[in-house]
Amino acid sequence: MNGATRSAGRPMRLATILAAGAIAAMTAAACGGQKPAIEYSIWGDPSELQSQQAIVDVFKKANPDIDVKVTVSDWSTYWDKLQTGLAGGAAPDVFAMDGPLFPDYQARDVLLDLKPYIDKDGYDVSKLVDLAVKDFTTADGGQYGLPRDLNSVVLYYNKAMFDEAGVAYPDDTWTWEDLVAAGKKLTKDKDGDKTIDQWGLYTETTDMENYWSSLVWQNGGDVLAPDGKTTLLDSAEAKGGLQFLQDLIYREKIMPEPALFAETGDAFEQGQAAMEANGSWLVPTLLNAGIDLGIAPLPAGAAGKVTSLNPTGAVVYKKSKNPEAAWKFVKFLTSPEAQQMLMQLKAALPIDKSVLAGPYASSFDGAQVFADSIAYGHLKPSFKGYDKFTTTLQAELDTNVFNAPNKTAAEAIDAVVGELNAILAQQ
Amino acid sequence: MARRRGGPLAAEVRWAWLFLAPTIIGLALLSAGPILATLGISFTRWDLLTAPEFVGFDNFRELLGDHRFMSALRNTVLFTVLSIPLDMALALFLALSLNRAIRGIAWIRTSYFLPLVTSATAISLVWAWIYAPNGILNSIIGFVGVPPQRWITDPFWAVPAIVFMTVWQGVGISTIIFLAGLQAVPEELYDAADVDGAGRWARLRYVTLPLLTPSLFFTGILGLIGAFQVFDQVYVLARPGNPTEATITLVYFIYENGFRFFRMGYASAASWILFVIVGVLTLIYFRLQRRWVHYQ
Repeated sequence: MNGATRSAGRPMRLATILAAGAIAAMTAAACGGQKPAIEYSIWGDPSELQSQQAIVDVFKKANPDIDVKVTVSDWSTYWDKLQTGLAGGAAPDVFAMDGPLFPDYQARDVLLDLKPYIDKDGYDVSKLVDLAVKDFTTADGGQYGLPRDLNSVVLYYNKAMFDEAGVAYPDDTWTWEDLVAAGKKLTKDKDGDKTIDQWGLYTETTDMENYWSSLVWQNGGDVLAPDGKTTLLDSAEAKGGLQFLQDLIYREKIMPEPALFAETGDAFEQGQAAMEANGSWLVPTLLNAGIDLGIAPLPAGAAGKVTSLNPTGAVVYKKSKNPEAAWKFVKFLTSPEAQQMLMQLKAALPIDKSVLAGPYASSFDGAQVFADSIAYGHLKPSFKGYDKFTTTLQAELDTNVFNAPNKTAAEAIDAVVGELNAILAQQ
Repeated sequence: MARRRGGPLAAEVRWAWLFLAPTIIGLALLSAGPILATLGISFTRWDLLTAPEFVGFDNFRELLGDHRFMSALRNTVLFTVLSIPLDMALALFLALSLNRAIRGIAWIRTSYFLPLVTSATAISLVWAWIYAPNGILNSIIGFVGVPPQRWITDPFWAVPAIVFMTVWQGVGISTIIFLAGLQAVPEELYDAADVDGAGRWARLRYVTLPLLTPSLFFTGILGLIGAFQVFDQVYVLARPGNPTEATITLVYFIYENGFRFFRMGYASAASWILFVIVGVLTLIYFRLQRRWVHYQ
């Protein structure tokens, strides 16, 4: 999962910046000339830490007067630690921010508005993917962070399984019907024991980003109204998108019910599914699994081709003692140099347009599909109360729609829409 | 016995306080303060990051109308009611079976204790495999023609499935406590019972069980407090999603609101409800001990 932001910012006055700088300088002097140290906190696995650490090392070489320490946690520990750190007034100077959660943090006034720094340095944000930058912008023009990388959802496929079944590879002309037709040919009981051992399609149903928000959009629906005050999931189009996912499992039977792989993990990665709708973060895992991997855009629905985009941002703690150094570091994270290092991991798309169109698009087979997806992608919904909204929504969808077909998507949404709107109204 | 100033007893009391001091100081500083603070916080709307706002009893009122909280409460109570008797009955049976001198008894006893020194997370992972739709449990019941069940996601089976796993893990500690209790029963009492013509059942009913009541009491209280705090198991079993209303427990509800939904005040209110429930039940349990617990 990943993050992006929107924020309401107050321009920091130059005097404040100067004063902060002076205090930092005096503190440094008092401590016997220690160089400013900033802590950069991220969530991720060891390979992501390694990649970010390599970027930090280059930064430190270029800025010998700034020390950067990287700390890493798993996803859930990360947010626990961050919140306690923020509550105690001792949060990391720079930290990773998931797009959808940004408004909840920004609204609570713990993030530094980078707009004054951007203006002062004449930093050109238009060289970054616009949608991703927008995720960390507030209505009043504040910029409370910059995107560090970007995730996009695609259709992965196992070429060997397609060849064996004599089915043509997915391409950018595919629609939902093509997906179902191919999925049926690829769903097989190979040893005749009446249990399926090769599924047509696999995805995760517990978060909208993995697949279902894209289905809602592809069907012409949306998750939230443009003003963010109500949910639009109760439209026929949105319900149709959710219903399609339930149908893939229980009617078309080309997808395993979620509980089947809840413990063993990704069926596609294990060679038990021919296709998977999921995010860019899986590329290194799938390549390591030795799958003959193909990458195609998500099949189009009635309203055309849409996918989900979600940037991870780098934000600065408002009470950071070294905001100048923190800003310098954030700026470096978005630089072509750092972005080219990041893209080697293949786990996310770079957010620098020149890197995206140039070295990234040809960096591995299928990278072009990711690069192209930005043109037709929608931002993952990002709003205050996101976690409560999605927990309430997923509890209903998981229990009654995806984990077991107790209700149709329409019935489930009707049951929960009042509560969802109440959550949005509370924010 | 009358207390003599400066006598050996007073010295013992001083030593007792000295040995207790680390625990008491630790509790006072690290637990009592935060516990009282949460009482204050429970009357506020507080997101951890901005200033709290006093809201009176709003949090408590809202909790009573919150169906996710009610599910958490129901699941937790059901978990407690099912797990404690099952744990104690099974532990008693095991302790009675293991309380004999046979070859390799130490190994057998150890094996029952092993799950206890394994992390709850690791155990939950293994059980998640057992409970999976294509897991061992469904294969076994498949042999006798029972259709596969959704052990974790079906609201009917979810809590019993977690109870069974938890009892399997925790039964070792109760067994060890019962074994210690059994071995403290004086042999003369059994001899006397034999003389009175007591059979096996009578020996159990009139000698063993009464003398085991302190152990039963002790494991009961530990079980009660532990059961109300069940967390790890649901956290792991619910992956990759969050617990649904079939599996959410009170402590998960508190965690979720405090650390996910920016509602520390609400979470504190829920934790006070939990505290009061556990407190009242413990008090009742202690009151009742006079009726059935025999100390030698």
